[in-house]
Amino acid sequence: MTTATANGAKTLQVTDLDIYYGSFHAVKGVTMTMRPNKVTALIGSSGCGKSSFLRSLNRMHELIEGARVEGRVILDDQDIYAADVDAVMVRRQIGMVFQNPNPFPTMSIYDNVAAGLRLNSRKVKKNDLDDLVERSLRGANLWDEVKDRLDRPGSGLSGGQQQRLCIARAIAVEPEVLLMDEPCSALDPVATLAIEDLIGELKKNYTIVIVTHNMQQAARASDFTAFFNLENSGDPGQLVELDRTGKIFSNPENKATEDYVSGRFG
Amino acid sequence: MAHVTRAQYREELAGLEARTLEGLDLVVTQIDRVVEAAEQQDIELAQWVIGDDDRIDGRYLEVHQHILSMLALQSPVAGDLRVIAALLHTIKHIERMGDQCVNVAKLLPLAGHEPPRHPELLAKLIQMGRLARAEVIQSKQAFVMRDATLAEDLVLQDREINRLNREIFRDAVDIGDDPDVREWAMTVTMMARAFERIGDNAVDIGEQVAFVVSGLFREFSDSSTPPPAAG
Repeated sequence: MTTATANGAKTLQVTDLDIYYGSFHAVKGVTMTMRPNKVTALIGSSGCGKSSFLRSLNRMHELIEGARVEGRVILDDQDIYAADVDAVMVRRQIGMVFQNPNPFPTMSIYDNVAAGLRLNSRKVKKNDLDDLVERSLRGANLWDEVKDRLDRPGSGLSGGQQQRLCIARAIAVEPEVLLMDEPCSALDPVATLAIEDLIGELKKNYTIVIVTHNMQQAARASDFTAFFNLENSGDPGQLVELDRTGKIFSNPENKATEDYVSGRFG
Repeated sequence: MAHVTRAQYREELAGLEARTLEGLDLVVTQIDRVVEAAEQQDIELAQWVIGDDDRIDGRYLEVHQHILSMLALQSPVAGDLRVIAALLHTIKHIERMGDQCVNVAKLLPLAGHEPPRHPELLAKLIQMGRLARAEVIQSKQAFVMRDATLAEDLVLQDREINRLNREIFRDAVDIGDDPDVREWAMTVTMMARAFERIGDNAVDIGEQVAFVVSGLFREFSDSSTPPPAAG
């Protein structure tokens, strides 16, 4: 079944997903759908498996030795864990933005954005590359702030600008899905709200999945919220409840969800 | 985790609920006084009711301010948010019920100091006041207990008040030709209307209880449908 929207955003369908690090069972039996052109927030306390789950969506967890996944992750009709699918190709389709802004420190702003393309060894003409860098920076709401200093190092930008630079780098390769792992936790409130506004813009073109510890951020920025939890310390994390964000924050079905979003732990 | 989080917030929310629902106790006191004033033609007691409405208005302002502050500072969500939304409605209904007691109290001097001209009509009015009182108490109990069944039962209790209200209206229409008696009877219908509204407010609070419990708001009965024609 192909559910890609006209602008290329695709559905991510996860079925019976288990994640292990060696003998440690980190995430158990997650089945959920992340819809195109929607923001799905993953919330839950530390160690509940939400970041592991996020990383498994573009096979990023494979960078950790001993990590393995059982179950299925389907991007529209493509099984991203199929034997003939290249992990690098998956990560081009499903981009990731990390907690700490991590521009390549010695590279210029321009080269930071172009890096994704170069690393994916796509041959692009200079003019086309210029266009693409501008389009990506505009897409990340950063163009006006950096257009006069594209040759300066990316590390000279503020934290919020660096994070938007990383988003520009992620969208330069024209992915279908954007994964964000606590993208605002290192930013001040103004930069945080700028990123949240940007997320609202980006969902017009992408499927977005965001891990956040900031519940107000999940409430403000997402369309759907998934609550992950573990029953006891040492147990694998599980998906407790997935619903429209408005429902999760006004009338969740599950008591554990209610307690978590209300800040009642213990 | 053994540590209980947001203990102060939880206490504050429980305190806010208690302060709001105590407003219903103030209403019960006002109903008691105004019913007695109507029964005894006690104009002085009626004046007391009018003066004491400031306490209910003060409670309204206090709760309203506290709710704004909770929303601004604590970002309540889910069940807590529903309770706070319901309390905001409830305190408004309390303020309205207080005003209805004042309406009755203000009408009493118009009805005159003389003994009631039709004891039967007056008895029906007193009965309405007592039923309204019982509804107010039941609405509080339903809120405290989070008892949606008890809340919805208010609709049944309210039917009797509505029935008496229509009866009083009919009696007043048929009361005869004496202009003084007719004026008195008209005044009684207006007081009856005030008690009938208090009953409606109690049912509205019951709807808020059902909302807190279920997360879904629905009217128990469709008040936009006109009641059977009076008279």
